[in-house]
Amino acid sequence: MALTQDDVRGIADYARIALTEEELEEMCAYMNEAIEMLQPIREYDLTGVEPTFHPIGDLSNVMAGDEANANGRSLDLDVALFNAAAKQDRTFRVPSILGDEGGDR
Amino acid sequence: MMASFEELSAVQIAAGVASGEFTATQVAQASLDAIADREQEVQAFLQVSEDLALQAAARTDELRAKGAKLGPLAGVPIAFKDNMHLVGTRTTCASRMLEDYESVFTATCVQRMLDAGATPMGKANMDEFAFGSSTETSAFHRTNNPWDTERVPGGSSGGSAAAVAAGEVALSLGSDTGGSIRQPAGFCGVVGMKPTYGAVSRYGVVAFGSSLDQVGPFGRSVADVALAMNALVAGGRDPLDSTSQEVAPNFLDGLEDSVEGMRVGIMPALMEHEALTPEMREGLVSARDALEAEGAQIVEVELPNMDSVIAAYYVIGPSEAFSNLARFDGVRYGYQEPGCATLAEQTALSRAHGFGSEAKRRQMLGAYLLASGVYDKYYYPAQQVRTLITQDYRNAFERCDAIMLPSSPTSAWRFGEVSDPTQMYASDLFTISSNIAGNGGVSVPIGLGSQSGLPIAAQLQGPAFEDRKLLRVARALERGIEAAGLFSPGTVAPDYAHRGGELA
Repeated sequence: MALTQDDVRGIADYARIALTEEELEEMCAYMNEAIEMLQPIREYDLTGVEPTFHPIGDLSNVMAGDEANANGRSLDLDVALFNAAAKQDRTFRVPSILGDEGGDR
Repeated sequence: MMASFEELSAVQIAAGVASGEFTATQVAQASLDAIADREQEVQAFLQVSEDLALQAAARTDELRAKGAKLGPLAGVPIAFKDNMHLVGTRTTCASRMLEDYESVFTATCVQRMLDAGATPMGKANMDEFAFGSSTETSAFHRTNNPWDTERVPGGSSGGSAAAVAAGEVALSLGSDTGGSIRQPAGFCGVVGMKPTYGAVSRYGVVAFGSSLDQVGPFGRSVADVALAMNALVAGGRDPLDSTSQEVAPNFLDGLEDSVEGMRVGIMPALMEHEALTPEMREGLVSARDALEAEGAQIVEVELPNMDSVIAAYYVIGPSEAFSNLARFDGVRYGYQEPGCATLAEQTALSRAHGFGSEAKRRQMLGAYLLASGVYDKYYYPAQQVRTLITQDYRNAFERCDAIMLPSSPTSAWRFGEVSDPTQMYASDLFTISSNIAGNGGVSVPIGLGSQSGLPIAAQLQGPAFEDRKLLRVARALERGIEAAGLFSPGTVAPDYAHRGGELA
């Protein structure tokens, strides 16, 4: 079943990309075309086939020790803040995420 | 000695600097002159790092003056795709999102080239966040194919391929998630290699598809690509990338050895594929003949699940891209929409205005595919198909040492000629299977198309972690093609040969 513009609006909201009405229309057409291209994936009999999520098996996540600068790669404060558009003292500055007006979803 | 800089291979430059025939500073200046002369027409670079280049070259010359041993890339001018961090440059990924982003650390692949003595000339243009096959999605400007400036250089590593083809640099690095090194190499008439996944560290390279991305070199000959591969793996396993594997830096060893008795697989159905232009089919026949003339035995192989690679790739790639690009929220770095009342609004508008159309499309597709209820229909089956494709390769490589494929269905197209996104995706047909399975591939020029007069290329793929043997077959193909008078290693695009960039 084809995606509607309302479906695509919902996906854009989830993906945190504010699309204009015009973009929504284009995106809807694109997504339906792209999904059509993916159909061969659904036509396979894949019973009993194990998935391969990664070309190199047997990998596990590497965790650093729970201590400051455990791996010696921590950025200095001024470097870490250098590319931020809004900052205050030692922190990244963001709009309010609390309250009726500021509530994040 | 007076020589035109672009006539020299990376191997010759490193040898000339080591022997004192010329200095690294002279080479850097010649590269800067070549860039100044050609860049207006080619537009391969997003940033030229003149100061860094001259400083690095001066350090190389000082080392030599002190009698220290020089690295294998001493004085070799190199360009880096602009998704690779290098302190002292911006890393923009050709996106408004990162227009002002200054690198705060240096990628391992970049550092290893510098450690080998290479001279960093700058950052090369690309499709935005590597989403594309023509470099037309760059937010800043197009890059022109040096063989015909009305045509695309391919992509996504189009700037890296064009800079080498135009003789602005001797080497460059690109990244390949679905063909983004091999296809532009083919379009621009240079050699480009995607090593086996895990051979080269991805630390410090902005991620697109984490199970698919791999960094690799461009050069004007197989030998230069082998030299660059040595430098990329010489530091051993990189602890900063958990997928990084130990690979021996022996890509030049036995490179010239005969391929007598080795077997190269071809898929008859693919050699006659309907998407291939007639000149591409003719070219592949010449390539097969050249390999046979070099002593290789041609055998027929099959990859039965090849018809599903586009579908599997355009599930896995966008899903991983959506996950990776979620980090661009405009808070720690990247474009931030001013005057927003809430964080949610700031995030959604920063992403809406920072990303270009194709970056939005890929993320939207990925967001959909990973949604609950949809995941089981596409993402999981795509990973099962990946198992089948990997098995196909395993079976095929029991019968041969390398497989020959086209690197793309056509030669370089005109700007705007392929404008429909899904039509553009289909052009990745012959390259993406090795990103899905992880094994290495290399694109080698095999001549000029009989209709277009533009470079055409063959792609060779090998078993995982047998990239050294793969380069040996690539070298045999290059040698056979040269012997047949079809294309010579070292070729610079004709309009840019012997034009500025003199090495005094």
